[in-house]
Amino acid sequence: MTITEPAGPIGTAPFTTEPLSDDRLTALVRALRPVLADDQILLAKTDRYNRARVPAPFPVHRWAERVPDVVVMPTSTEQVAAVVRIANEMRIPVVPRDGGTGLTDGAVPHRRGIVVDVKKMNQIHELDLVNRTVTVGTGISMMKLNERLAKHGLFYPDDPASYPCSLVGGRIGTSGWSLIGSRYGHTRDLVLSFDHVLPTGDVLHVGDGIGRKISKSSSGYSLKHLFMGHQGTLGIATKATLKLFPKPEAELSPFWAFDNYEDAHACTGALARAGVATFAGAVLFDEHKVAYLRRDDEAYIPQPADVRALVCSVMYGYEDEVRAGGKRLFRIAKEHGARYLGDEISEGDWAARHDRYATPLHGRTKDGQVIPMSWHCEDAAVNFSAVPAVSRAWHEILADLRRKTDVFDDWGMFAYTSAATGVDYLTEIDVGIWEQRLDDKAWAAWVKAKRDIGAVALAHGGSMSACHGSCREGEVDLVPEELGRGFDVMLDVKRSLDPNNIMNPGKYLLDRAYGRDTTDENR
Amino acid sequence: MRTDDQPTGPSASAPYRFAEQHTPPAPVRVSEVAQTTFEHVYEVDPRLMEVHVLQQVFPNWDTLRIMRSRADHLAWMHTHFAEKVITGSEILAEIERESTPVPPPL
Repeated sequence: MTITEPAGPIGTAPFTTEPLSDDRLTALVRALRPVLADDQILLAKTDRYNRARVPAPFPVHRWAERVPDVVVMPTSTEQVAAVVRIANEMRIPVVPRDGGTGLTDGAVPHRRGIVVDVKKMNQIHELDLVNRTVTVGTGISMMKLNERLAKHGLFYPDDPASYPCSLVGGRIGTSGWSLIGSRYGHTRDLVLSFDHVLPTGDVLHVGDGIGRKISKSSSGYSLKHLFMGHQGTLGIATKATLKLFPKPEAELSPFWAFDNYEDAHACTGALARAGVATFAGAVLFDEHKVAYLRRDDEAYIPQPADVRALVCSVMYGYEDEVRAGGKRLFRIAKEHGARYLGDEISEGDWAARHDRYATPLHGRTKDGQVIPMSWHCEDAAVNFSAVPAVSRAWHEILADLRRKTDVFDDWGMFAYTSAATGVDYLTEIDVGIWEQRLDDKAWAAWVKAKRDIGAVALAHGGSMSACHGSCREGEVDLVPEELGRGFDVMLDVKRSLDPNNIMNPGKYLLDRAYGRDTTDENR
Repeated sequence: MRTDDQPTGPSASAPYRFAEQHTPPAPVRVSEVAQTTFEHVYEVDPRLMEVHVLQQVFPNWDTLRIMRSRADHLAWMHTHFAEKVITGSEILAEIERESTPVPPPL
């Protein structure tokens, strides 16, 4: 297999190519007119610039390099398929965009082209109360869906930190992770099947077998997982059938304080391993996170100095079950030296975890002055036993960066259970980044740090990403190392399904599937 | 335009009509980097917001509105996810009751 290495040192490669020429843009719009109404084809600067980025910090002086040529807002699978078919025929890149809340640039049009914004596909097509499923357009948000489902006592428990603003289709494209996945499963478990537009414009239905509402089939390859978590490089999900649960009768979310990290870590593991049926997750806050929260968070400013680490656990279910499970978890916490932090902080902090994107962010210079910062979040999947070592190594990487510049601020770490047995944790380090000062030199330093962070996760037997994906500069360099022979299979699949490399090109090093960087050829 | 019935201070406060709205309770230092005015209203120490980000002046009603809106939002989120919230203090009390030996009948 021919391998093309990235041009130039890490962090210096251009993000994108030039915009379409006037002639090609005119031809593209002319081809789209029979498929879409005028108000579904957006050409205004504001419409395009607003769909050029995601929340993950980047060098904002290079914003203009990633602006799409056209934005379309289809309302049906047929329209999406027609747009993709046109793009494939004209060799113009297509980038699906749902909530635009992803943190690994999946929705960023690195090669410009057409952004397919699915937000108008937000219908509830069918609610099946007997089989407990709902079929929706992928442009619907989980929060809006659950407002409708609550009238029937039902609940779709896919709960990312962007819960109010992320959309079902984006969750499929990233194979998302849910805060309460230890109780209900993550996106891959909750989506039963979906309609999917391939890079050629063909429409495929993927699920277990061919069923729309089947949760387990052994017929053929398990294609559903292949078409989840591809970051838009294999097509666009348009209509999905989801598994539903009874809306929980009760919630319990105690927060406990510890005077040292080791006891808090041990307690988190014990809570997860307890086998409590209503257990929906546990979260470990390290010393750096507590120190960060003491700066500005009203819940933590008043905490005594001997609060050095925190643990939260959350349970959902029927009231009698939650009470019984809660008592068991409280006893476990007590055995590990925990102090209950009180109802106000426990309930308030947990409720805020569903909506982290609404938090105004700022950090500090080394001399303590407040600066506006954006939020970067690493999200490795790490085994419980490796969490302390990974934490130490990551903080050292951040400390080294901070010694050099005020552009970066260590906001501490969380570790969230990914599964009820406590086998692995979404291990998160939050980094404040002063985007306005993120020049090319600082960006290159950040890309190197990201690569080092990813390497630590791999060295400890983990995966670089439990939730976001691994598309960004720095981390993406290590994807072939993480996946091994599996990365070659990714290239084979990409080349087979997207012969012209039009679907979200420039992501996951997939240009290598074509033996060269095909940027110019695509344009 | 500033008039005599308006408070002195940053110009951002000038457009508001009621002078008393610009007099928050005296700040109380709660940590090395934070102070509090109204109950539950914490603010960054103003000395830390002098270079890159300047503190804004809010009338009291707006400060309280922001704080209460936050509480409303969190309460809404609880109701959205479950019919009721069981408090940890209830569970602790139950554990305490169960661990307290029942005196033998007289």
